[in-house]
Amino acid sequence: MKKLLLKNIIVVCFILFTTLTVFSQTVSGTVLDPNNDPVIGASVMVSGTTIGTVTDIDGTFELNDVGNGASVEISYLGYRTQSFVTDQDNSVFNIILAEDVNQLDEVVITGLGSGVKRSNSGNAVASVSAEQLTGNTAPQTLDGALFGKVAGVQMSSNSGAPGGGISMQLRGVSTLGAGSSQPLFIIDGVYVNNKTIRTGRTQVNGASGGQNAATQDDAANRISDINPEDIAKIEILKGPSAAAIYGTRANAGVVIITTKRGEAGETKVSLSQDIGVANGQNFQNFGIWDSARTATYSGDDPDELAAQSAAESQGRNTDWEDFFYGETGLLSNTQLSISGGNQKTQFRISGGLTDESGIIQRTGFQRYSARANVDHRLNDRIKVGLSSGYYRTNSDRGFTGNQNNTGGSIGYALAYTPSYADLLPDENGNYPNNSYFNDNPIAIRDLGENNQKVDRFITAGNVDFTLFSDESSFLRFSVTGGVDYTSGNSFVYFPEILQHQAASANPGDVMRGRDDQFNSNLQGLLIYNKDFAGFNSSTTAGVVRLDQNSEFVLNRGRGLAGGQTNIQWATVQSIQDQAATQVTDLGYVIQEDLNFDDKIAVSLGMRFDKSTLNANQSKFYAFPKASVALNLHNFDFWKGDGFIDNLKLRAAYGQTGGLPRFGVTYESLTPQLIGGSLGAQVGSRAIDPNLEPETASEIEFGIDAGFLDGRILLEATYYNKTVNDLIFDIEPPESTGITAIGTNAGDLRNTGIELALGVNSIRTSKLNMYSRLTYWKNDSELTRWTNPQTTGGFGPSLGTYLFAEGFSPTTIVGTPSGTDNPLGFTVYGDRQPDFNFSFSNELNISKNLDFNFLFHWQSGGSAINLSALLWDIGGTTPGWDDIVTQEDGTETTRGNARLGDWGGGNTGAYIEETSYVKLREMGLYYTIPGATLNDFVKRIKIGASLNNFLLWTSYGSYDPEVSNFGTQSIAGNIEVTPYPSSRRIFFHVKLDF
Amino acid sequence: MNTIYKLLSCCLIVGMICQTSCTIEEVVDPNNPSLASVTGDPTKAELQGLMTGLESRHRNYFGSATQMFGSFGREVWAFFESDPRFTGDWLGVGLNGETYPDFFSSGGTYVSPYLAVKQANVIIDAANASTSLTTTESGAYEGFAQTVKGHQLMYPLLQQFQNGIRTDVGDPLNPGPIVSFDQALADIRSTLDLGFSALSGSGALPFSLSEGYAGFESLEGLASINRALAARAALYAGDASGALSALTASFMDLDGDLQTGPAHVYGQSPDISNPLFYPFDRPTSTILVVHPGLIEDAEAGDARLSKFAQRVENPASSAGVEFPGNYQDARWASNISSIPYIRNEELILIYAEANLMTGNTGEAVDAINIIRNAHNLSDYSGDTSMDGILEEILHQRRYSLWAEGGHRWVDLRRTDKLDADHIDLRDGGSIFTQVAQRTSEAN
Repeated sequence: MKKLLLKNIIVVCFILFTTLTVFSQTVSGTVLDPNNDPVIGASVMVSGTTIGTVTDIDGTFELNDVGNGASVEISYLGYRTQSFVTDQDNSVFNIILAEDVNQLDEVVITGLGSGVKRSNSGNAVASVSAEQLTGNTAPQTLDGALFGKVAGVQMSSNSGAPGGGISMQLRGVSTLGAGSSQPLFIIDGVYVNNKTIRTGRTQVNGASGGQNAATQDDAANRISDINPEDIAKIEILKGPSAAAIYGTRANAGVVIITTKRGEAGETKVSLSQDIGVANGQNFQNFGIWDSARTATYSGDDPDELAAQSAAESQGRNTDWEDFFYGETGLLSNTQLSISGGNQKTQFRISGGLTDESGIIQRTGFQRYSARANVDHRLNDRIKVGLSSGYYRTNSDRGFTGNQNNTGGSIGYALAYTPSYADLLPDENGNYPNNSYFNDNPIAIRDLGENNQKVDRFITAGNVDFTLFSDESSFLRFSVTGGVDYTSGNSFVYFPEILQHQAASANPGDVMRGRDDQFNSNLQGLLIYNKDFAGFNSSTTAGVVRLDQNSEFVLNRGRGLAGGQTNIQWATVQSIQDQAATQVTDLGYVIQEDLNFDDKIAVSLGMRFDKSTLNANQSKFYAFPKASVALNLHNFDFWKGDGFIDNLKLRAAYGQTGGLPRFGVTYESLTPQLIGGSLGAQVGSRAIDPNLEPETASEIEFGIDAGFLDGRILLEATYYNKTVNDLIFDIEPPESTGITAIGTNAGDLRNTGIELALGVNSIRTSKLNMYSRLTYWKNDSELTRWTNPQTTGGFGPSLGTYLFAEGFSPTTIVGTPSGTDNPLGFTVYGDRQPDFNFSFSNELNISKNLDFNFLFHWQSGGSAINLSALLWDIGGTTPGWDDIVTQEDGTETTRGNARLGDWGGGNTGAYIEETSYVKLREMGLYYTIPGATLNDFVKRIKIGASLNNFLLWTSYGSYDPEVSNFGTQSIAGNIEVTPYPSSRRIFFHVKLDF
Repeated sequence: MNTIYKLLSCCLIVGMICQTSCTIEEVVDPNNPSLASVTGDPTKAELQGLMTGLESRHRNYFGSATQMFGSFGREVWAFFESDPRFTGDWLGVGLNGETYPDFFSSGGTYVSPYLAVKQANVIIDAANASTSLTTTESGAYEGFAQTVKGHQLMYPLLQQFQNGIRTDVGDPLNPGPIVSFDQALADIRSTLDLGFSALSGSGALPFSLSEGYAGFESLEGLASINRALAARAALYAGDASGALSALTASFMDLDGDLQTGPAHVYGQSPDISNPLFYPFDRPTSTILVVHPGLIEDAEAGDARLSKFAQRVENPASSAGVEFPGNYQDARWASNISSIPYIRNEELILIYAEANLMTGNTGEAVDAINIIRNAHNLSDYSGDTSMDGILEEILHQRRYSLWAEGGHRWVDLRRTDKLDADHIDLRDGGSIFTQVAQRTSEAN
């Protein structure tokens, strides 16, 4: 293979080489914006070559040795690209750039080493700028900053705990859980780790016993380590048609993140401070139990009535919801950046500190980040760049969500605990036992520990050689290497004095986790660009390698010496889990981008990948792509009528892959100690030797139209994405002693529509308003599935997901037995919403005052609300004791009616619709005009903003966005007394020096 | 010239990158040995690992059988408050005596036993393939494996009853059909018979077992366990003479210690702890409680009441059952106490019942009296009709074998007494005859 590649490269190089020519002229000039202010850092490039420079602080540039008659392009983010042609009579060019309201000239990614102007892209483009990402408010995490901003992106917070934990699905379901349910994240060319590191909380509080991979730890996925303020731009390749060149890991889409870099010019220092508060939202108002309710619930139990009246008379009948979730979280976010450089070297260094406390005491999140990005041009031919970031996060997420037999969840315990329960510690700090559940939630809150610290180094280096260039062509060789090192330490602890610990055989439980993940990737590309006969051709060929290694261990100690948390002070010391993984992927790519005079742009590519995760580790799989964009308005027949000023038709096709999870291809023995001897147990997993990777194919059609001089832009896209050979752990008859075989179990189809309408309704020198309406919907269906089966959740009586041919894979079913599906359960809903709609508006007054907001509406979708079940059992549901008349005419309480309905076999009693409208972001900013300031401070921007401030929903709990099992491709949307979500208010100050 | 030089240097760079990045090594499981490593021609050490693994797989049904079958037969209530289904679904509240597919928490008496069966099948194949064993040695491996397999197949069958189960699962990718209850029971008995004949001979075992087999660590010892299990299976099949003949080769001793029998052993993590142990009288919402009927129905002075400890400070309660749980299991000293899975006491009761069925009522009553006297009760003086004695045997079994894998429910079903006269339904539940077939079996 190696030899073959080498040979190909030599052949390609020889064919494409042309002779060098001699240059002669020097051109210079100034670049200004529409207000006649200099544009600093604008790119000035000789078309079709790598010869170029950037403008300095005064907006001026100078280019030496430019050929006569060469076309020089001036571009700057946010402005339309302009060009001029050199001639012997003129060497000074002054350019005024026009604003690019609809970002048609923005360069978007089409390949590993290439990009095209947005207007020439054959795909629907989804890019989010720094301004859109963090310009309105201060989002907690990078993924959290994307809510409602991109069509086709279905996102959901797993819980409201500080520090993130978000599930992101691009264009519907792309795997059933075998592969990665989350998109591939790439930051400055580094394949970054977005796994969730297990903490073992799920074992300590009993949510799931044993070594269960479906964790209920409520830990965040690790993209939350990244500081959103570092990001210059996010591009989302939503489906295989755009992401094909990323090959075997791109089935769930690719999110490409570019960090901010320095620009030539005067050194800029920027300091910003956000201060805010967070409060729990959508409280259910459990209220205070009076004697009537106590009598109803307890069946006139005299002990309970006495307890209620004692609490009443002692003034401690407490609304536990306010008591636990009523804290005001303090939010602080400090960012400092210094950037600058000259035409040879540019740098940007930045530091950030985010410190947020939660709405439950002793919960919170801190992030410390430092980043240095440096670019240096050794000479005309060699450019190097280094992007380096360090992040440390520290999160205390407390105890909420599911538990079993421990009381180790505040929300769970509260479901069973009436308002009159005596829980408050005495003056000596002793917590009374909770007679209504396994533990006193105040003691759990005050004495339990659930901490996770993660250190992250993400570094990318890039060297770019221009091997040759002339007026019409150039050949570049670009090498990018990246490293992502993640080190996690977790600590979960219940002291021996807790009620449930004292009731166990070995009181005191500590779990300490350690995880080292080292990912590295290397990519070498040859890029040849040539202009001929009105065409521009860009050819890329190269090799890509990715290595992922990790070492994970969870250690546990039970039976602790008083107050000790070191495992050596435990009577029973054990290793809960230890696992090493090693994975290597290797791929070859070739891509051709052809552009005919900005009229027709075609992109063709192919990637070949192999991976050690596959059953056949040495087999290469091919992933092709093809796309075409027709810019009708650039054709000669187009007669601009002043109404439609640009019209693009586009079509794209591509394939990507999805790999089996590590371990699926092994049939192993598992160790088990018994009576002091070590036994080898035959594992319950068998292997399918013919297992192939999942393959997704997508075809996408779209139309982009601009009206009224770019004031209205409409983008419409239809896609049909099929995923074949879905890998799933099918369950053979359990009587075989095999409970899982990872096999290619079926096929899936997603179809969807994405519409975006941008309207620049007001555009005057004093006032500018831009509105954007986005609509997207996705429908999924299993088109091939042999043996129907359920998956996820807590079994059919509490709601589970069904896989059966002709059904959406996110179909929720439960008891009783029905006839409307193959397994004999009843269908109650679908996790996926019917559609999403978002509305954002940006208003700018007198250039100084900005007012922006973003509303997000999700219509439809269902969730399994087990919080409500627990509340009904414990009698804590709001309005539990309202009297209702049942179908048979008898009267009972509202809580008992619903519980009885469920107990009689109707799982649907607790499956609810998840429609909502949220005010995701709203910001008001004032920029103090430069003229009023002294020489030192160049600009001051002050403002206030809201984040997730308003929520309208009929869903019967805190937030319809929820997932007890963390990020899940299918089995999300199951709620068990989660950490409530919060609304956030900020004040902002930003100083530029 | 310059161009060619650059081209060559470019190719050199590409070549260097390829040198380091274009080859990848095959990755094998870095965490565990493969199954294939022990199925070819295993060494004795590898077989020992599999046997110890079998003993561990062998114990996993016990807690679940005691809790779930025990709830069905109202021996216990599972006041595990974190999940309402332990007192809702398991007691059949609102379910009218019908479970549903993949019934709540029912895998412990279905999936777990079949994991042990799989392990036993691997050992049987491995022992026959190993070139390092004598015939007697390989017989010992096979004999123990067949014995465990027969015992384990019983639990899915007891759960599924007339649905039947698969007994031929040697080839996991091509399992045999689901066979009827009668056929499955016959298959279990022939599996045990295969084990018995493989254990022929006498002397030491070529492998070691845990403390739970103290006193049985020989070919004869394992054979006597095998026959005890065969006697139980014969009783369930209604084959009284088969039961009596199996008992003669079992470890039954009419004058012996009733506690004698092989046990499942437990330990601290990473071992598995005793699933029935709960610290005494602690304030908790997770406790297996004694069904109050056992306290109320006991004969005065029955020493077996010492199996139940009264929760004085912290009577247990449940949102799903309106009666308190005033008693808990008092049999276990700690969470590492061993649990016998078939005892001399059960064998004597089988002996009594088999004699009754063959019309030998005198011998039956004598055996009953052995049990009664051992528990501080006088000789049986009640109804001496067939059914009267059978009721007495069921009563003795209810107390002697309480919470030992769910006997009560199974006994009442096989004697056709699974009714409200025998099952105390004060909790508002209903009576299950069997558990619905699992959805995976349709695949």
